Amino acid sequence: MRFYVYCLSDELKDEAVEGLKGVGGALVRVIAFGRLAAVVSELEDESVAVVSENLRAHNAVNAGVLARSTTLPFRFGTLATESRLAEYVAANEGSLVAALGRVRGCVEMGVKIMEKAKGKRQKAEDGSEEARSEVVLTDEASGAEAGASGVGRGTAFLLAKRREVLGDEAERRRAEEVAGWLAEGVSGLVRESSVRVNPSDALVVRAAHLVERARVEEYRGRVRSLGAERVELHFLTSGPWPPYSFGELRG
Amino acid sequence: MVDEVFELDADDELSLLETLDHVLDRGLVIAGEVTIAVANIDLIYLGLNVLLGSTEAVNRVLGDRERRLEFLHVRSLDASERGKE
Repeated sequence: MRFYVYCLSDELKDEAVEGLKGVGGALVRVIAFGRLAAVVSELEDESVAVVSENLRAHNAVNAGVLARSTTLPFRFGTLATESRLAEYVAANEGSLVAALGRVRGCVEMGVKIMEKAKGKRQKAEDGSEEARSEVVLTDEASGAEAGASGVGRGTAFLLAKRREVLGDEAERRRAEEVAGWLAEGVSGLVRESSVRVNPSDALVVRAAHLVERARVEEYRGRVRSLGAERVELHFLTSGPWPPYSFGELRG
Repeated sequence: MVDEVFELDADDELSLLETLDHVLDRGLVIAGEVTIAVANIDLIYLGLNVLLGSTEAVNRVLGDRERRLEFLHVRSLDASERGKE
């Protein structure tokens, strides 16, 4: 039989999962593998449907266990037999213990940053007349004179391509600048960061920060202050989460 | 402006999207042991970045992801407007 697997820890006792119900409403329990233990529940199905109940159940168990110990959460949908799980733990024990040491006493906090101007551009692409006119005006202001000024279709294409390439480069630099500014703003408050820069997406920067539990409120205050500094940006903060982004096994 | 920073409530729809974002994309992976079903089609992760599935299923999931990001963006813009009122 395969188990649904939620997380691993090196300080788990049965009391840590007392009363917790997991995916499919199944009771959650602990299986020990030497120094480490896994939080699991029984599951008859061959796969796990990506539906809100299951997603919330997965996270609720991980959050519940996190409240009582240090954990490394598994990705949603992890199903393994006890022997496969034992094999995985044995093969990675040193890296798992090291990863637990890195996240001990911490939670994950999330920050997503979006640019307001991109929202307008996206609305234009979606067909909003008001926003479309704003984008057209912006393009005219930046020297997009192809078409009406009598240049040929090939030239117009190359001009558009040049604008696209230069625009992408500028967006990338802008996104990296925002990421750097955020990193500097939260420095001293985060133990580790995992940052993705997406210059061409609606989301410019997606950051996960590993923050000591005792400093979560201080961290939130700092992010609020940063939001106040850059009125051209939208901030979406979330957390505390189990350290989903910090379970990387090194070495 | 402080009201440009949005924090999520546990039961908020937006928090479900954030949960989706965290639990589907991150966390420990045992190669070949992550089996999720989207619209009754099984998808199997082989490693951190390798996913087996039909082209149709993968396209559908990627399309959902784009719509999710778009929804997230629109929701945050709406929340911003509400905050200013």
